Amino acid sequence: MTHRPLSIAVNGTARSLDDVPDSERLLDTIRWRLGLKGTKEGCRSGECGACTVLVDGVSTLSCLTLSREVDGTSLTTVEGVADDPVGKEVAEAFARAGAVQCGYCTPGFVMALVGLLKERGRSATVEELLADLGGNLCRCTGYLSIARAVALLSRESP
Amino acid sequence: MPPFSLVTPTSVEEAVAELRTVAPGEVAVLAGGTDLSFDLDRAGPSLRRVLSLRRLPWRTLDWNGPVLTVGSTLPLRSLEEDPGISRRHPGLYQAIRAVGGVPLRHRATLGGNLGRASPASDLLPVLLVLDAEVDLVGPAGSRSVGVDRFLLGPRRTVLAHDELIRSVRFPEPRPSAYLWQRVRPANDISQIAVAAAFSPSERRWRLAVGGIPPRATRLPDAEQRLASSVAPTDPELRPMAEEASRQLPIAGDRRRASEEYRRHLVGVLLSRAVRAAAAHLSEGAR
Repeated sequence: MTHRPLSIAVNGTARSLDDVPDSERLLDTIRWRLGLKGTKEGCRSGECGACTVLVDGVSTLSCLTLSREVDGTSLTTVEGVADDPVGKEVAEAFARAGAVQCGYCTPGFVMALVGLLKERGRSATVEELLADLGGNLCRCTGYLSIARAVALLSRESP
Repeated sequence: MPPFSLVTPTSVEEAVAELRTVAPGEVAVLAGGTDLSFDLDRAGPSLRRVLSLRRLPWRTLDWNGPVLTVGSTLPLRSLEEDPGISRRHPGLYQAIRAVGGVPLRHRATLGGNLGRASPASDLLPVLLVLDAEVDLVGPAGSRSVGVDRFLLGPRRTVLAHDELIRSVRFPEPRPSAYLWQRVRPANDISQIAVAAAFSPSERRWRLAVGGIPPRATRLPDAEQRLASSVAPTDPELRPMAEEASRQLPIAGDRRRASEEYRRHLVGVLLSRAVRAAAAHLSEGAR
């Protein structure tokens, strides 16, 4: 099977990828073809949120997305938000609240939160933000420290 | 994964023609892919083609008077964010919010949910009580089928091999509610789920149950017990709950919950759903 190259802007840089099979998942393209290991593989079935990335600014589960389906879009992974103002805010909130234990779920939580904050700014309450993070699982923290980080990013936070 | 090829037609005609070039078992239709992906992993070499709907102009949402028409490939998150949905179709809003997390809802679609016809679907019970109509398009043109007739069984619908779901229509806003019981509140499959809606035009309640095999289904005998009472009182709700418990078609199924527990839950949840929908109604029919 011959393929056109897959074009995506990865964290702001235009990339053209050859020989991407139609059946390849975005998660695998990101980790193994682009070598960006910040995006994690957890359940590979849409239940844990560890693989969350932004596609054209919109949070997306890369494990359930065929790479060819995002041809021509702009992809942001956790590596790409380190210098982003919203990304920095989220990282600082996680650090201040001690919201990281083993760290495996963290990139997914960060990307889901960055997506939500970009969608509606600081207008959401803690309760709304937590409800909208329902797709992200953490097996270490018991969520309390993550909830404290989320509170720092909510409308109630000074 | 098997080396299927992905086809992304840009017109409905092209998409339908493409479906006709391959045998039924050799093609899968891809909307958001949040459910289909599991099958793609397990598919054997017989799956030759995946037909993506992403370039078709079906990411639409239209209000025409009371009638809401939702394009089949509109992401559920876009539907959820439309202010008219939570206000005019509260049960639909609650059901959408019960589907996965936000990143999943950014891709999942109403058309995909219908086409995949999962017995665990959170959307189908609400589509039933809202009398949603499914608009199909195929080589012979278009046809519309009510959701109740559209669903045949687990993973089975009346959709022909060369037909696609174009849109879903909701005939009128209805005070409605969707409630579920799960082991974990987020990202889980419901042990049982119920939907209730009151049709202002017919002055009748509609009740449905989901989260159980073989498919989401209406409970007509339980509906009868509510008669035309807009705001049923507790003594009126009790016979409805007892009837729903008796009528629940789950004999022998123990996946996720026992039959006894589900028979108990269905009455409790339906009573709460009817009360919640009636509360919307008393806030003023909008």
